[in-house]
Amino acid sequence: MRRVAVTGIGLVSPLGCTASEVFEAARAGRSGVRRLDIAGAHRLAAPLAATVQFDGTEHFEPPQFRLLDRVSQFAVVGARRALADARCELSDRERERAGIFLGTGMGGTLSIDDGYQTLYGENSDRIKPMMILKGMHNAPAAWIGIENGWRGPNLTYSTACSSSSVAIGEAWLRLACGTLDVAIAGGSEAPLSLGSLKAWEAMHTLASVDASDPPSSCKPFARNRSGMVLGEGAALVVLEPWERALARGAAIHGELIGYGLTTDAGHIARPSVDGQAAAMAAALAAAGIASDEVDAINAHGTGTQANDSAETAAIRRVFGARAGHIPISATKALHGHLLGAAGALEFVLSLLALRHGVALPTMHLDVPDPQCDLDYVPNAARIGAAGRTMLSNSFAFGGTNAVLALRAVG
Amino acid sequence: MTSMTLTDTTNRIRALLAQDFKLDPDQLTLDARLEDLGVDSIGMAELIFNVEDEFLLKLPDVAVQLSTFGEVVQYIDDAVAAQRSAAAAPSVMGGAQTAT
Repeated sequence: MRRVAVTGIGLVSPLGCTASEVFEAARAGRSGVRRLDIAGAHRLAAPLAATVQFDGTEHFEPPQFRLLDRVSQFAVVGARRALADARCELSDRERERAGIFLGTGMGGTLSIDDGYQTLYGENSDRIKPMMILKGMHNAPAAWIGIENGWRGPNLTYSTACSSSSVAIGEAWLRLACGTLDVAIAGGSEAPLSLGSLKAWEAMHTLASVDASDPPSSCKPFARNRSGMVLGEGAALVVLEPWERALARGAAIHGELIGYGLTTDAGHIARPSVDGQAAAMAAALAAAGIASDEVDAINAHGTGTQANDSAETAAIRRVFGARAGHIPISATKALHGHLLGAAGALEFVLSLLALRHGVALPTMHLDVPDPQCDLDYVPNAARIGAAGRTMLSNSFAFGGTNAVLALRAVG
Repeated sequence: MTSMTLTDTTNRIRALLAQDFKLDPDQLTLDARLEDLGVDSIGMAELIFNVEDEFLLKLPDVAVQLSTFGEVVQYIDDAVAAQRSAAAAPSVMGGAQTAT
């Protein structure tokens, strides 16, 4: 198996669009959650979201722009930033062994929503001709491939909230096994339509507004947590074999050392302690490390009652008595839940936490929950606490649990 | 149809193509091939959609085989003329069929 380096980071996120902006916001505990300003927002019980300040016309000429849903715009811009960061330019021959692995939970849902608004809301048959091409889940990955001429695997993973961790993990497998020489991997999500938000609301999974401070409405692991806040954005990384990165003198952000993937095969939505624990154990086994080598964890930490207590129990099962001494960060409190892009953004934040030696805070955790009794790094970053090796957890509706293991350089 | 109508149609479609496909209006001569302009079959579907809005037309939801800009102009002009004839003729519907 070959070692795999992360050599590029590309972000379009509620916390910023460069690695330093995003890390600094997460370290300082600045929330990207805002009052949502979309048509019909007044119909939402909690009109909140972690939004991105992003105008696609600044990034695409009209002939292409008209073909791109916001989710594809995020993905393509994120890929551009990742490739620029990696200073990755491939020859025509190298592009045959270059692959794209993208996660998205809801694909081009804004375009689908727009089409249905025409059809059902306006009772018109004038569906825009690009609805299928903009709405299909594999469009974001396809556009990255088209823009860069990469002709290896171009794969889209849709496993709800673990989609982009699965994408990164599957890319890692191919790179480690030697069937691929370079990959762009990550996720993109643009789910903030009224239809989508109402559907999430109907499941009773969204946080209620904290009237005293709306940006602090998502409170992972706190007793007064009331759910998640949806977010939008993209996070992509360039992955390549360690030796290749060294040979071309690339700056290496960190090493992806393992990937665990399990399926609950139980309930469609209820988290499973067994499945989550098994995924963490599988990531450790793939990385060839013992549980006592893990220095910190980026939790799935959605802020729902069900997830946070189950994840706490799963971490306790894997790490035993040591569980309470591992810093655990739930950064969704700040960037919201990016669904199919969440795992990738949290993987990037984990890389940055290792690089800066900082355990990122779990914000808005003022009221401890007896059922969530681990060290969540409440409300303030901890300098020097990230260590060298981390896990990044992603657990999903549908029961797909994906865990990435990563290590600092040096 | 009259040459005045054709010229008007030409200019309006030229403006649509220039805007949506970011084409130089000077490229849009009547004999310019759509393929050379980057207007493929999907682009044609979108052009037809936008033409329907611009001309308040309803064109058939079927693929049309048009090769040049001039053929597009002719196709739309014929459709406009047909609509006007239908509007002028007595109808139980009492008027022209227009885009919704």
